[in-house]
Amino acid sequence: MTALDTAPKPEDFAHWRGMVGQPLTAENPLEKDTLRRFVQAIMDSNKRYVDETLASHTRYKGLVAPPLYPVHAFRPPTTAPDPLNLVQADRDADGAGQNDSVFFGLPPMVSPFKRLLNGGNEIEFFRCLAVGERCVAHATYKDVILKEGKSGFLLFVVIETTFSTEAGEQLLINRQTLIWR
Amino acid sequence: MSSIWEHLQEGTLLAEINKGIITTSHIMRWSAAVENWHRIHYDHRFATEHDQLPDVLINGSWKQHVLVQLVQDALGDTSWVWKIKFRYKKMDVAGDSIVAQARVVNKTSLDGLGFVTLKIVLLNQRGEESTAGYAMGVVELPGGAKVPYPFVPKASYASIQLPQDD
Repeated sequence: MTALDTAPKPEDFAHWRGMVGQPLTAENPLEKDTLRRFVQAIMDSNKRYVDETLASHTRYKGLVAPPLYPVHAFRPPTTAPDPLNLVQADRDADGAGQNDSVFFGLPPMVSPFKRLLNGGNEIEFFRCLAVGERCVAHATYKDVILKEGKSGFLLFVVIETTFSTEAGEQLLINRQTLIWR
Repeated sequence: MSSIWEHLQEGTLLAEINKGIITTSHIMRWSAAVENWHRIHYDHRFATEHDQLPDVLINGSWKQHVLVQLVQDALGDTSWVWKIKFRYKKMDVAGDSIVAQARVVNKTSLDGLGFVTLKIVLLNQRGEESTAGYAMGVVELPGGAKVPYPFVPKASYASIQLPQDD
């Protein structure tokens, strides 16, 4: 089902519910320079993210990333195509490529809907990713619900992703609601 | 030295972060930092003509980190941001000013630790909430034990939940 030529039915999407993706391991461990660029980009000037001496005297015992960093720890693999090639080939291409920071090893949902909205997040934090550690993500389609609203059908999809270190220590759990319409 | 616990009064504005005007340069820097090349964030023609948006958008993925930073800064280095949830209510575009605020909703103690619920929002220069939600922080009680790190919640903490959405 790839086009909205007939009214969608809940059973069209039922097989996605509970689907578990393959664990996805970040290409690279967290590096100091990546961390510096990241905290500058979020405009967080706390020195514990960049000053190793200061950080060594905190409870983190060294440089760590902000708690939510792991959702951005997954860069395209070195063999991935350049997403901007598509922009040269197609004036209407959106440039997003494969780096969507959404599916984390899950097969991307095939939806007949055109617009995708972020419906919000619920996140539980356990610890921060430290410099030198590599992040692992494991995602599940937790829920898939088709609703009919005033303006048409809406597909609510909850993806639950657990982020851990390679040693298996949990970093955070992110439950993200996506809304297709 | 007084504990932050004693300053957590229901309804009080606990913290505010003013990020100032977010320009296309700031948005581009974020897109580059996380390799998000979606054109609605830096290509004005694509954003306004192709996607019919009012301007290039400030990334929701950026805004979520501001909320986490807000709660961290509000509660201090001895506390822990345990939970956070939020919804995007309005778009923010290049040139908007972003202010984050955290207000105390309630606090409770369990197992020798303090748990504080915060209402968190991002406001633009017109005072409109573009992003809103709640956060749960774990803080030291006066004379109490340190907040464990890593923070691994015990089964008995299951009763401590964030409020339902407004």
